Amino acid sequence: MFQTIRRLFLTLLFLSISTSHLFAADANADSDEPILDVMGTVADHDYIKHPFGKIYLPRIIIWEDAQGTSQFNIFGSTKKATESGLFADVNDVLAPADGGHITLDLSITSHLIYFWAGMFLAVFWTLMMARRYNAGIGKDVEPKGALQNLFEVLFVFIRDDVARSNIDANKADKYVPYFFTMFMGIAFMNLFGLFPWAATATADLTVTATLAIITFVITQFSGTKDYWGHIFWFPGVPTWVRAILTPVEILGIFTKPFALAIRLFANMLSGKIMIIAILGLIFIFADIFGSVVGVSVSAFSVTLTVVLYALKVFVALLQAYIFTLLSAVFIGMAAEEHDHAHNEHHTEHAH
Amino acid sequence: MGLLAAGIGAGIVALGAGIGIGMIGKGATESIARQPEASGDIRGAMILTAAFIEGVALLGAVICIILALGIGQ
Repeated sequence: MFQTIRRLFLTLLFLSISTSHLFAADANADSDEPILDVMGTVADHDYIKHPFGKIYLPRIIIWEDAQGTSQFNIFGSTKKATESGLFADVNDVLAPADGGHITLDLSITSHLIYFWAGMFLAVFWTLMMARRYNAGIGKDVEPKGALQNLFEVLFVFIRDDVARSNIDANKADKYVPYFFTMFMGIAFMNLFGLFPWAATATADLTVTATLAIITFVITQFSGTKDYWGHIFWFPGVPTWVRAILTPVEILGIFTKPFALAIRLFANMLSGKIMIIAILGLIFIFADIFGSVVGVSVSAFSVTLTVVLYALKVFVALLQAYIFTLLSAVFIGMAAEEHDHAHNEHHTEHAH
Repeated sequence: MGLLAAGIGAGIVALGAGIGIGMIGKGATESIARQPEASGDIRGAMILTAAFIEGVALLGAVICIILALGIGQ
């Protein structure tokens, strides 16, 4: 059965990749958008693209009308929202038609869809494999098939090289499920971004910030007495130094998840923009020097893009790994218990 | 003016990150050559430190993007 599903998936994959290019030309012809819409390809949209067109996503909006009463509306798409007469389209942004304002826009967007897809794949794969391990395949006999072997390699890697090598041995295993979910989810989200029509959910600051906030919360909740002691009352330094150290340490709590979010966001965003920019060179050169130069530049651009794509596959996995690794390092730093009794014993001996 | 600032800024960011990551690479390859059996640990530390430098560099890059797009003006 697995063979059939895998074959089906592969066929779909190849079909969707090859057909997207055939239809891309049509899509460009009948739209009045510029050829190079750099921010449009990385921004969040109210639709998801697929090889044959677009699917518009529902809008869920909590808003206040002109009288100040709160309203809650669900529309099938942005178009339906404007057709209902309650909302008007002002420069591609929905605004209430009667002059009220939107309190909370809970609309499902393309990045959210790919976020869900990445997390769903991660959970689905893990549950599928868990059933196999419960049945004894992999425990009593060797793991079977490429899917399970790959799963085991990744899982053991996260458990041993990420969790156990950065967190105290007796606490590490409790965090492994979180790290593995993060790693797989981010890796899938990053890899989704490699499809020509798909959106990279991790190239959105809100997505990476959400992931970083989860790590931040876990870090604080796993903080030991020593961790908080080091922040508010750094041991072994004069009191006046603590006046400087405490604000710095408190700031440090927040800069860590901030850097985590920015790192993943900027890496995925820059990868996407780089490809667009290099492919865009073709059109820029064709525009300035004529189509002959444009065609010859395309030989260079396309080759470079192929190389960059291979690099992006590597970066997608590397960034998922780095996010997980740094989460583990931060949590490990918070959950660490210092052997104070041992140190004091030593100093007594020295006296 | 924003574009000029973004261009100069991106150049300096790339310069700083390049020097930093280059020094990590130098240190890592030298230590692997000296102690090949510890190459796994060294590689892990190398990636971790490179990620920290990259984080700072990308922070600069994001500010360059903000400047270039004129967000907040």
